[in-house]
Amino acid sequence: MSALYLRVTDLGVRYGETVALQEASLEINQGERLALIGESGSGKSTMAMAVAGLLPRGASVIGTLDFPVLGHSLRLGRDVGVLFQDPDGSLDPVMSVGDQIAEVAMMHQGIGWIAARVHAAELLGHVQIARPLTRLNSYPHEFSGGQKQRIALAIALAGNPSLLIADEPSSALDTVVQRHVVNLLDELVRERGMTLMFITHDIALASERADKIGVLYQGRLVEFGPAAEVLGSPRHAYTRALINTHISLDTPHSKRLPEIDKAGLV
Amino acid sequence: MPPLVSLFLKRLLGALPVLAIVLVGSFLLLEAASGDAVDAYVARSGALDAEQMTQLRQEWGLDKGPVYRFKAYASALATGDLGWSTAFERPVASVILERLPITLLLMVLATALAFLFGSLLGVIAGARPGSVRDRFLSIASLAVYAVPGFWLGLVLIVIFAVDLRWLPIGGIESIASGKAGLARLADIAAHLVLPVTSLATVYLALYLRLMRDRMSEIWHEPFVQALRARGLGRSRIVWRHIARNAVLPVVTMLGLQAAAMLGGSVVVESVFAIPGFGRLAAEAVARRDTPLLLGIILCSAVTVIFANLLVDLAYGRLDPRVRTGR
Amino acid sequence: MKFWRNLNWEGRVGAALLAVLILMALLASVLAPGDPLAISGDPLLRPFTVAAHPLGTDRLGRDVLAGLMHGTRTTLLVAFFSAAAALVVGSIVGTLAGFLGGVGDAILMRITEAFQTVPGFLLALAAISITGPSVPTLIFAISLGNWTQAARVTRAEVLSLRERDFVAAARTLGMHPLEIAFREILPNAYGPTGSLAAISVAAAILIEAALSFLGFGDPNRVTWGSMIAEGRTVLRSAPYLSIVPGIALVVTVLAVHLIGRGLFPSGRLQP
Repeated sequence: MSALYLRVTDLGVRYGETVALQEASLEINQGERLALIGESGSGKSTMAMAVAGLLPRGASVIGTLDFPVLGHSLRLGRDVGVLFQDPDGSLDPVMSVGDQIAEVAMMHQGIGWIAARVHAAELLGHVQIARPLTRLNSYPHEFSGGQKQRIALAIALAGNPSLLIADEPSSALDTVVQRHVVNLLDELVRERGMTLMFITHDIALASERADKIGVLYQGRLVEFGPAAEVLGSPRHAYTRALINTHISLDTPHSKRLPEIDKAGLV
Repeated sequence: MPPLVSLFLKRLLGALPVLAIVLVGSFLLLEAASGDAVDAYVARSGALDAEQMTQLRQEWGLDKGPVYRFKAYASALATGDLGWSTAFERPVASVILERLPITLLLMVLATALAFLFGSLLGVIAGARPGSVRDRFLSIASLAVYAVPGFWLGLVLIVIFAVDLRWLPIGGIESIASGKAGLARLADIAAHLVLPVTSLATVYLALYLRLMRDRMSEIWHEPFVQALRARGLGRSRIVWRHIARNAVLPVVTMLGLQAAAMLGGSVVVESVFAIPGFGRLAAEAVARRDTPLLLGIILCSAVTVIFANLLVDLAYGRLDPRVRTGR
Repeated sequence: MKFWRNLNWEGRVGAALLAVLILMALLASVLAPGDPLAISGDPLLRPFTVAAHPLGTDRLGRDVLAGLMHGTRTTLLVAFFSAAAALVVGSIVGTLAGFLGGVGDAILMRITEAFQTVPGFLLALAAISITGPSVPTLIFAISLGNWTQAARVTRAEVLSLRERDFVAAARTLGMHPLEIAFREILPNAYGPTGSLAAISVAAAILIEAALSFLGFGDPNRVTWGSMIAEGRTVLRSAPYLSIVPGIALVVTVLAVHLIGRGLFPSGRLQP
């Protein structure tokens, strides 16, 4: 039984009059993987950004975030690494990737420049970028989308954080590349004993990779619990509908696509 | 061959048609100017009768029609012969060569000053768009941008040379001072302070604005949020990332302003009585020395092209996306 | 007025200043009758000392305020018309280049580049040296260096608009390409040209002032540039003679810039 890493109590986020998230509560243990599922506008990204502390300035937040293991609030880069959806928007175009990784390492691990560069090369190797030493001096535009996402992952890991938040990390990538990145993510997180919170709209992905699942709908956390429970015996109608609409390679052609009747939901 | 070198050569080649057009334009100007070399000769050395003038024209090949004259003009240019200055009674090329270095020095110093301080202040303003600091600098730069360079020069003279007597009124160095070595250098430097400042100030305001505006835009780009997520300090994000990205259009502007600055040097050199290339242009017009004016126009074009090439190279070093031919 | 309410503070200040200046220009003959170049008082009177000459007099005893007011005319006239000419010519060239594409575009663009490579001020000097200085020739000379920006901006707009639907529709209707260019495309390209207009006018004001300062302006007219040049001869003893007209220049250019930013707030400095 591992220690409780994060406890969210009645988290709510508002932008002026608009409520993006309300009364969300959940718990994650250290080393667990939480998947937050929902459609766009459901509040899943808002929740993740609230946990990270990356909400824009206009947001007003209520509720509490406890990090019992850390004993203090989350420090960006040092305690938490964030992986964003768009790999093109994650990297500074005029700085070499090696420098970008090393910068974070130097900042949070207190090591010198040379040690940081060495560490950066190691990380590039871990995220499976070929010829890491040479590629330290390459620039973001010289890499493909999948590679950029992996580099962003390396940057997120450079500060040795205990939590990784991944906001739809593979949505912007091709299907084959998606798999690759997701597998890598999973592997690295497990190796380092990190806690993972990943946001996705893909329920299949969640079912494969998550220990706990949270379902968000219209700014509320309508379902939360261990993955098997949520998928096997969902309590909320929306969750059931989500599971039903999932199409996999073995869904028969003839099966009609069920629609989610939102009028019937709370 | 390395990408920057091939970029350089490509730009050089692209500049040739432009130079050709300037050449043709200059030639047309020469034709349009009333009076040809014989008239100028007559004006200088006394009257000739009509028959003598016709004879002289035949000798000098001036009666053979515009195409011939153009060919003669172009071939002379190829050998570095820019014609004869009627006002100075020397080859145009030698007059220009004598005066060009000072103006180049003026321009380089002014550009450096404007770029360094403009960018710095621009970063300070753009670090917090909308802040008091930003508003103040933005309004100030707007006001400064409206100031004519020659008038600023006069104001500076009144304040620093006349009232405070800290700096000399004009010229490039103290006449017959007998100074040599470092003392001479210091003397020239003192003489350059006011003219360089007058020339640089309006561009400083421009680069400030440009840097600030670009930074203000960049703050909204997605990678800035990613930078924050890495836990990097604000100051590091501002200087090492945002400013570094925002400086790119400013550098591009440096090249585009080269022509304007060369034009600005005409008045500034006149105000400060500096014997430079810019003031030479004014003298050429005043003394109706068309060959000299043409030589000046051609040399200006070459200078501007060269300046732009240098800026392109610098830009290539700053923006890695350009280097690998993307 | 709805116009006034829609303007931000920059536009308002600029418009107010410009209104004052235009009034000055129009009423110059009324408020300061007679020839501004005529001697009207004792020489070298300092400003704010004599009621009849609120801004003082110059070396020869000519009233500074009268010169300032009459100079407004020349400044605004030359600047406005040369900027207009530059914009019109530039827009036409830019539209043609964008529309023609291929070789025609390349040739026009090389010519534009040539005019951009030679400093605008030198082009103006060269033009003046041939034609001699007068208001019409000044307008022409100044516009020589100013038209290239408009050409580039318009061409860029045309290139982006060319492939849009309404152009294809016009072509289907059988409109002649030139007609399409000038009746359909050009009006849509006016947006970014707007803020360019303000910048062109401001630049023209400064070039005209520099030209008259150097003695290449219209010799029969009072201009702020010539007043500054005049004042230079007595810079030590009467600096106000050069300083005051310069302030007028700064205010005018500032007003134009402010109006530009007020009317076209989305326009930005383009490298």
